[in-house]
Amino acid sequence: MAETSSAQQMLDQEMIARIGRRDQSAFSALYDRLSGPLYSLAMKMLGDPAEAQDALQDVFLQIWSRAGTYDPEQSSVFSWTVLLTRSRVIDRMRARGRRSRVVVASTEDAPTAADASTVESAADTAEKNEEAVRVRYVLNNLPSEQREAIELAFFEHLSHHEIAARLGQPLGTVKARIRRGLLKLRERLNNL
Amino acid sequence: MISEEQQDQAALYALRLLGADEDAAFESELRANAELCDLVRELREAAGHVALTAPLQLPPASLKQRIMREIAVETERIVPMPTQRAAFSWVPWAIAAALAVFCGLLAFDRVRLERQLADIRTTDPLMQTTFFALAPSAPAPADAKATVAWQPGRQSGVIRISNLPAPQPGKDYQLWAVDAEHKDPISAGIVRVDKNGVAQVRFKPVEKAEHVKAFAISLEREGGVPKKEGPILLVGTT
Repeated sequence: MAETSSAQQMLDQEMIARIGRRDQSAFSALYDRLSGPLYSLAMKMLGDPAEAQDALQDVFLQIWSRAGTYDPEQSSVFSWTVLLTRSRVIDRMRARGRRSRVVVASTEDAPTAADASTVESAADTAEKNEEAVRVRYVLNNLPSEQREAIELAFFEHLSHHEIAARLGQPLGTVKARIRRGLLKLRERLNNL
Repeated sequence: MISEEQQDQAALYALRLLGADEDAAFESELRANAELCDLVRELREAAGHVALTAPLQLPPASLKQRIMREIAVETERIVPMPTQRAAFSWVPWAIAAALAVFCGLLAFDRVRLERQLADIRTTDPLMQTTFFALAPSAPAPADAKATVAWQPGRQSGVIRISNLPAPQPGKDYQLWAVDAEHKDPISAGIVRVDKNGVAQVRFKPVEKAEHVKAFAISLEREGGVPKKEGPILLVGTT
């Protein structure tokens, strides 16, 4: 599936196994591979570079200390690290008693003036990231109400109750949108 | 059969949207339902990919330095340094000086040996062999291991496995070459272990693999599959 093609998954697992044996060069290689997408996720959720960097530091220190507990039966390395990142970011959001400042209007958000230079320099890398482009394409082609519900849940960590209130829709409708959207996403990513 | 309600719960669980009580209740349901477990895993993978839709931004280089420093400090903490000093504090310096002289001699000798090695490499096929050590990855037993001797020129190799119990009926172990030029791992055939969990097999990947980065063994359907499906049990680079 996309970012985690079988070959890449094997190499990721090998890196995690080496990190579990305290191999700093494997850790450095994994950082180079994943820090971009994970930092981008933290930035999208927190909207603050200093906070996003602190969260990313926590995540990679967790990877270093918990590599031995990684279970390939449960998830790919990529999904595992996304899960760790979301957890750390959500903890920070809760600790500060606020929600993300980022309004998830579209997956093609324009960069703000403050971070334009960073985004611009990263744009080349983004273009090279064929998989990210494909996933974005798949997500953008979901029915808009399903995509919106998934993005509110994923990036803003709104509960299904909060999403229902925000969108003015019944709870059952919101649950169904999230379910249908994720099932479709799974199916389409599997077919990439 | 998974009900629509279970699918709803699975999707919310994959996105971490359930409350603590709902989480616990759903997890006990998961323990009793393998099909539901598979669905959750797949939905979690799909949800993980949503992260890739965030506009790509790169952290500053200083962050990596900060993190690497942190783990280096932690590693040093684990290895306690000897604390005795005083009267023999000159000893490390003497050892360092002796080592420096010794290193100089070694460097001189190395140049000579490298020349000899280059000559041997062109004539001895064993020197054209790359070795891969494969380490276990859950759910393989912790003492399972394998070594691959790979000859890129001949596009063939030998794998020796030990401590890997025979798979359950209807399953086989399959060897894969992970090549930089191929998106998916290349099948290198089925590997059957004996009753002692040992195998020694000569293999040849089904496609040309000129830039092999790693070898891996996965658990697959009996007879093997064209594209890896099952969990990885052993994996290793050079």
